Amino acid sequence: MSTTGAYQPRFKQTAPIKGSFPLDHEGECKGPMLDYMLCLNDKGQRNSDCRDLAKVYFDCRMKHNLMAKEDWNKLGYGTDQSSSNTVGGASAVE
Amino acid sequence: MLLNHLRFGCRRLAVATCLRSLPSSAPIAQTLSSRIPFALTCVPHQPIRQSSSDQRWNQDSYEQYQKRKTRDTAYYVLSVVVLAIGLTFAAVPAYRMFCESTAYGGTTQIAKDTDKIEKMRRMDQRLIRVQFNADTHSSMRWNFRPLQTDIYVHPGETALAFYTASNDTNKPIIGMSTYNIIPFQAAYYFCKIQCFCFEEQILNPGEKVDMPVFFYIDPDYVDDPALEYTDDIILSYTFFEAKKGLKLPNPFDQPSAQKQIAPAAS
Repeated sequence: MSTTGAYQPRFKQTAPIKGSFPLDHEGECKGPMLDYMLCLNDKGQRNSDCRDLAKVYFDCRMKHNLMAKEDWNKLGYGTDQSSSNTVGGASAVE
Repeated sequence: MLLNHLRFGCRRLAVATCLRSLPSSAPIAQTLSSRIPFALTCVPHQPIRQSSSDQRWNQDSYEQYQKRKTRDTAYYVLSVVVLAIGLTFAAVPAYRMFCESTAYGGTTQIAKDTDKIEKMRRMDQRLIRVQFNADTHSSMRWNFRPLQTDIYVHPGETALAFYTASNDTNKPIIGMSTYNIIPFQAAYYFCKIQCFCFEEQILNPGEKVDMPVFFYIDPDYVDDPALEYTDDIILSYTFFEAKKGLKLPNPFDQPSAQKQIAPAAS
């Protein structure tokens, strides 16, 4: 953080886009959660390798009415989410 | 009466009044006032100067003039004060609008569409380490901690992280959390899709829950020159107790269960 002069960056809190997760009081989605955490542990905390298990977790949440049902595209799980750097990666869907 | 005539320079009337006051000169006064042309002697509003009896008149009107000036100045100053107070009140929304439109001072983006999430691409050239920190207020008796210390994420990719909280007391406790992101410049690109902040969360006695945070880092992160060498972000949540000594209804009653689901469905 550069702190010279009067141009201090200020942190502004914003609300999350889809609001707040309801609490999983009964632990209905604890299984998928543990799977996801174990995967993270195994893969050195890399998010890219464990995203599918996160998808399973969200699926569980949606099934048990703990999350609003949403298109997978809108949650970042679309098929055209390929990276910008891989050869032949980024599809022409635009 | 005589004084008034002297004040306003009406010599003719002054003389007439003078003569009228003498008991035997009433007819003379009449003649005088009819003979001397009006225009020659009666000049209203012209100050008579340089006479001792007029000094008081000068003084009076000067005082009045001063009073008027002071009053006008006072009105000016008062209006400036009122304007300043009004500007103070107006500055709050005006500044907010200015910050939001120009993104000055590290404000985070607002109005993120889910369309943006749909279209964004993962940026492989940068790998950002997001570290997690959990705090509670000193009088908050939840056990609150992150389930992972860090996670490596590419900008443009949605990520999921977990915190856990447990209530080891024998009373239900309502908590409310707030968050903070360091460094502030990176906070502009940190976008939360769904989390558990700013909403009251109830934990029953002995309960333990997992709290997910669903977020992504905006792909524009890689284009920001100020963040070229910033690969570490710290996300910190702090929980506060919402209310003390509150009698809570059973959280599994239908109305409050619906209330909890409603924000996610909005």
